[in-house]
Amino acid sequence: MTLSKSIGRAWNSFFYEGFSGESLGLLRLYFGCGLLFYHVTQFFELLTLDPTGAQFYFLEPMWHFALLGIDHHVPMLSFVVFVVLMIATLMMALGKYTRTSIAVVILCIFFLKGNRDSFTGDVHHRYLVPIQMLFLLLLSKCGHAHSLDERCRKIKSRIEEWQASWPIKTMQFYCAFFYFWSVLAKLRVSGWAWADGGQIQEELLERSVMWGLTDAGEAIRNQLAFHMAQHPDLLMFLAHLTLAFEALFPLILFVRSAKWRLIFLLGVTFFHLANFILLYVGFIFLPVVFLIFFDLVPVHAWLKANFRHYVLRKPWSPAPG
Amino acid sequence: MSRRTVNSILVVYLLVVWTAVIVRCDRFPLTWVPMYSTYTPTEKIPVVVIDRKNMERGILVTHRDGSKGYVTAADLNIPITHFWRLYYQRMFGAPPAKHTQGNMNLGAVNRWIRGLDEGEPNFSVEWDWLVIRSLNKTLGYEPSDPKFIVGAEAESEIVHYQKKDLLKKDTSKPERTTLRAHPQWKDEWLQRWNDDTL
Repeated sequence: MTLSKSIGRAWNSFFYEGFSGESLGLLRLYFGCGLLFYHVTQFFELLTLDPTGAQFYFLEPMWHFALLGIDHHVPMLSFVVFVVLMIATLMMALGKYTRTSIAVVILCIFFLKGNRDSFTGDVHHRYLVPIQMLFLLLLSKCGHAHSLDERCRKIKSRIEEWQASWPIKTMQFYCAFFYFWSVLAKLRVSGWAWADGGQIQEELLERSVMWGLTDAGEAIRNQLAFHMAQHPDLLMFLAHLTLAFEALFPLILFVRSAKWRLIFLLGVTFFHLANFILLYVGFIFLPVVFLIFFDLVPVHAWLKANFRHYVLRKPWSPAPG
Repeated sequence: MSRRTVNSILVVYLLVVWTAVIVRCDRFPLTWVPMYSTYTPTEKIPVVVIDRKNMERGILVTHRDGSKGYVTAADLNIPITHFWRLYYQRMFGAPPAKHTQGNMNLGAVNRWIRGLDEGEPNFSVEWDWLVIRSLNKTLGYEPSDPKFIVGAEAESEIVHYQKKDLLKKDTSKPERTTLRAHPQWKDEWLQRWNDDTL
């Protein structure tokens, strides 16, 4: 009885406390703005194709394309859907027809990702966290604050703390465990051998030598990766560091200090940046989702005050709090 | 939504995402996050070197009438990164990463769920068929067409590094080999072509 009560208290305290309706609305706004940029980085290559050119027959359609019988790419349709995606994302950020906009964004991502990842069967994982966030925003009342929908509403509704907190806390939970599951996967597939740094060494060699070698046997491009591959001790240290930070990521859920969370997440951002530079791993823009680990109300107030003062040249009025 | 409903949603949501992890499901938007997880220690590391000229020239194809030609990324209208995967990986029978991740060290429970016997791969694909099918379908050729592609060829240079050499920082003389891929059309595929099944 006591145990179940304790679990219930911990559950409620974790999922239903900590954020206001304002926070949720601002998360939608800033995440939406980040997504506008994110979509371009993810689907840019589809826009480089000839819209009226050949329609490629996929080597291995993604599961939902296989289910729907979509076996080839219609380039013109990708252009149209991309435009719809950008408009829907902008509307989501502004909070106009919020729920419908989010649903459209999700559908467009499924369509464009389905096309991009069906060409040769390589399914990328860069939309996993964003799509979970969109799904949770869809279920939430994120359109009830900092939105055009709210301005049009005659009867203003108040969002309770629990209503604002659970979607954000669930996003935090998913994102934190996304990294944790990555460690589990490495250990399940490769065991502790992964920690010897050999996997990183192979990747570094692959991504540097792929561009060709000089007569002296030096990599033509990405020389830093090529030279790092020749330091197994450093790579073993980096492999251990990667496993440790991924395994410990869920602890961020219990860190109260925003400053420490920021320091940790800056470290993770550096990790993604290094992976991008050395290994061409495309998670470089994933840190846009780290907004979920902060209450954006004071951030927004600070940005607003600075914008008023420095851009609009209005008298200084510091942000409350 | 009431708090009770939200509790139910949370329980179902957490059960679904954790089940996906346990059963190694990697179907968007569910995942067990297997990226860069596969590693088998070896003394020799093979690395593919991309030949830009080969890539620009395209895949050498043989038509049913005996003529030869090249198929480029522009002909297929696919992004260059995917053409690279097609040329250097699928043509050589190399699967996408998700296949290797899904096949490696599959536990007893996960094999049982999928009805797989010991050693039986979770993913097994006949890439030759898919490549030939895709090239012909994309370019609009039918099996009876004289221009129907009956063979495709690609060449890949592999550089092999020994770990002991890397430890000594000696990268001057790695072993080099050249591989050639040549998927060929098989008449036994005609039924699959007509049925339009992958």
